[in-house]
Amino acid sequence: MSSRHRIRVTVNGRAYERDVQGRRLLVDFLRHDLGLYGTHVGCEQGVCGACTVLLDGQVVKSCLMLAPQADGRTLTTVEGLAGRGELHPVQEAFREAHGLQCGYCTPGFLLSAVALADRGVVLEGKSLRAELAGNLCRCTGYQNIVEAVERYLRQTVGSRRG
Amino acid sequence: MDKLPWVGVSVKRKEDERLLRGAGRFLDDLDDTVALHAAIGRCPYPHARIRGIDPGGALEMAGVEAVLLGRDVVARTEPTNVLRPFPGAATTAYYAMAHPVARYEGEPVVAVAARDRYEAEDALERIAIDWEPLPHVVDAEEALRSGSPLLFDQVPSNLLAASTVKAGDPDAAFRQAAAVVKGKLRINRVTGLPIETRGLLARYSDQTRTLEVWSSTQTPHLVRAQLAHVLRMAESDIRVIAPDVGGGFGIKMCVYPEDVVVCLLAIDIGRPVKWVEDRVEHFRGCTHAREAVHELELAGSADGTLTALRDRYVIDAGAYNSPFGPPMLTNLMLPGPYRLRDGEIERRVALTNKVPVGPYRGYGQPESNFVREVLLDRLARKLGQDPADLRRKNLLRPDELPFQNLTGATYDSGDYVRCLDLALSRVGYDEVRAGQAAWRREHRYVGVGVSCYAEFTGYPSSAFLGRTGAGFGAYESVTIRMDRAGRAAIYTGVSTFGQGMETTFAQVCASSLGLEPADITIYGGDSRGTPYSVGGFASRTMIAGAGAIATATGEIRAKMLRLAGHLLGVAPEHLEVAAGVVRRTDDPSVQLSIREVSEAAFLGHRLPPGDDPGLEATAYHDPPASAFGYGSVAARVEVDPRSGAFDLQRYVLVHDCGTQVNPMIVEGQIHGGIAQGLAAALFEELQYDRDTGQLVNGTLVDYFAPSAADLPRFELDHLETPAPATSLGVKGVGEGGTIGAAAAVANAIGDALAPFGVELDRLPITAESVWRALEAARSRPAAAVN
Repeated sequence: MSSRHRIRVTVNGRAYERDVQGRRLLVDFLRHDLGLYGTHVGCEQGVCGACTVLLDGQVVKSCLMLAPQADGRTLTTVEGLAGRGELHPVQEAFREAHGLQCGYCTPGFLLSAVALADRGVVLEGKSLRAELAGNLCRCTGYQNIVEAVERYLRQTVGSRRG
Repeated sequence: MDKLPWVGVSVKRKEDERLLRGAGRFLDDLDDTVALHAAIGRCPYPHARIRGIDPGGALEMAGVEAVLLGRDVVARTEPTNVLRPFPGAATTAYYAMAHPVARYEGEPVVAVAARDRYEAEDALERIAIDWEPLPHVVDAEEALRSGSPLLFDQVPSNLLAASTVKAGDPDAAFRQAAAVVKGKLRINRVTGLPIETRGLLARYSDQTRTLEVWSSTQTPHLVRAQLAHVLRMAESDIRVIAPDVGGGFGIKMCVYPEDVVVCLLAIDIGRPVKWVEDRVEHFRGCTHAREAVHELELAGSADGTLTALRDRYVIDAGAYNSPFGPPMLTNLMLPGPYRLRDGEIERRVALTNKVPVGPYRGYGQPESNFVREVLLDRLARKLGQDPADLRRKNLLRPDELPFQNLTGATYDSGDYVRCLDLALSRVGYDEVRAGQAAWRREHRYVGVGVSCYAEFTGYPSSAFLGRTGAGFGAYESVTIRMDRAGRAAIYTGVSTFGQGMETTFAQVCASSLGLEPADITIYGGDSRGTPYSVGGFASRTMIAGAGAIATATGEIRAKMLRLAGHLLGVAPEHLEVAAGVVRRTDDPSVQLSIREVSEAAFLGHRLPPGDDPGLEATAYHDPPASAFGYGSVAARVEVDPRSGAFDLQRYVLVHDCGTQVNPMIVEGQIHGGIAQGLAAALFEELQYDRDTGQLVNGTLVDYFAPSAADLPRFELDHLETPAPATSLGVKGVGEGGTIGAAAAVANAIGDALAPFGVELDRLPITAESVWRALEAARSRPAAAVN
């Protein structure tokens, strides 16, 4: 419990080296040790998806991992999508489609959408809704989130194929 | 200014950029390097006495700074005050910690502050509590029976409050009725479940003896007033600030026990203390909502005229009267949008050993809609009429409005029948009716159901609230301050929790001042520097806020005209404010930019006689009357009668919220309301075990909040009848989507399964509950089927 581990991670292209407790959750490490507050905590049980990040390109829930498990790995959080530049296409799609209200669940949805685009499939309607079931939202009723992701996938994956 | 160029425009939201970048700042994002972290110990029993408590083990642990016990809380604080009391309600002292008796599983009984949350939770495990479990009751009807365990000695039969309203002559109407239908209908206990849980960061200054509280709340000023009362401090010594709030839905209103506990720890230790609720705590710490049992009767004449209603219902309040308490609008909106003058409603509010209930999106309206609309379908079947025809016959017509319903609500405006007809046409009502017989021959059970509602939005006035004993007013307020660059800032006590207030307030303000929404900055949710505010709830922010913005910008505009007139040598009455300029009405080439006018105001070098420097105004607006939205839902389902499983194929809502400031945001609010309406109707229920009194599904793994995969696409349409009483003609829109959901689906399933005589009488509606209703119908003698 009180064991300490020296870990090296790359987050949003930047390398970090830190000492952490063995029981430190990855999401707490990202937020409170690295100051990357865009990744949120909603349930600590892997249900709501507010803490979704990409670990070596794969969608993971950072509340279900311990920080030492990320040693040597590469992470992307919402702060890594656009940096300080123009909004990333997925962010722009959410803005255009009014795909967010309180914005608390939004970073998790954005990263899930990016992972879908990386798989190179254009989904819509019910099949897309099934893919988004790992993220919960209480404000939007999902309709505009689905529309935003459809729009983003069409643009991104569609144009890659195009 | 007659024309409001930014009202009615789907402006993209000002809030979005920071939220999309992960740069929103929510409560737990406020990292204070010297802050301690609190963890709260909770009662594991539904009802128990603390015989002894030994914090010794915790205090010896490294990193632990303080332990707070219930007896100290009771000695040092006032019980939480009730802001929305039921008439004649018994007083039940609700302290921030239970001592010596705890009355629900999850009630706070001890707290620890330590270097981090991990250590604080370790320390809780070292605190030994000697519990004496007491008899409990978790069913409201049972709680009211004699011999049930009492929660408070001074509340006989656990009856917190009871009242009866009667209008007209319902007894005669029931005697003369051609048909009477009765039902006992159960509404499930649910919760709003914002994805961000609640939290608090409190800092106390020993030097100034002032308290700074960051809180994830919809109502910063009400939280300040309540903290001052409970902590026995002056309001002026407390500042409450809401950062970005991750969803509210009525759950994040007023003071909660944990808030008081965290403030006491910060005061005692003299260092900042932070507490963020975890999700398991959230299910036990935040108010639940809606649970009730109704025994409703409707009377109708042979031609399908609805003639009277009679309802006797019990609300399950949980263990304490929370600040906003059980819902007030069940009674008020029970008669619905119909021409109904005779009725009698008896309401009883029972205490049980469960989490206290509080407001949740709809505040009684989804409950009364479900029970009334389900029985209306039964009445139609009994009279041999089509349910849509029966509603159309009884809905109030535009020439009958305003109409005071039998519980005292005055519906202001709209076209209820047209709204219903639009919903029917959109869902393909006639096509389903035409196809049903053939589908049934193929063993396909397709049904269509409707539900109609009128919706109370905002409050009629502060005077009205005063007569009901409320601890707050109906107004909202703003300070608007221009700067030398000709931009404007709005200071409001309303916080940002997803409702889009930053954008819609900017649209109204920009329209009046000749600016663009991008020129407006919103400073919201901070009790310091904002005028007294009530807060964001009851679908009232835009109703009351738009009025305050209109008044404040009116003053500023008048001063801009005087100032520009002085500088241009033109009488102010010949000037107007247009996009970015003040100009002559008859010769627009004579103009000054708003930037030039603003600079002149703040330099103060050349002011008109009698005017002071500056360009700012503070205004309060108290709405003179409520605004009533309305809507009709039409749903189409197909049901498998072997399993009870059903597919919600179409969901149509046609609504009227008056003038829409931002149609995109309105639609988003409606979507979210429908989703929470369907969540409570089809998925969610907080279940307590009768024998152990435990909340058995109080985690997000066990409480089935729907995902995108569980909900259909919603189809919307709207009418736009400006409200006569409000600024801009707006009606509230935050809650409407929730109201009609459960009844529309229940009626669609009832319609699909009409050959079986199925009657749904409880929520949530699941495949299992439909299957049980089918089994019950199959075992009923055929003659009893209506």
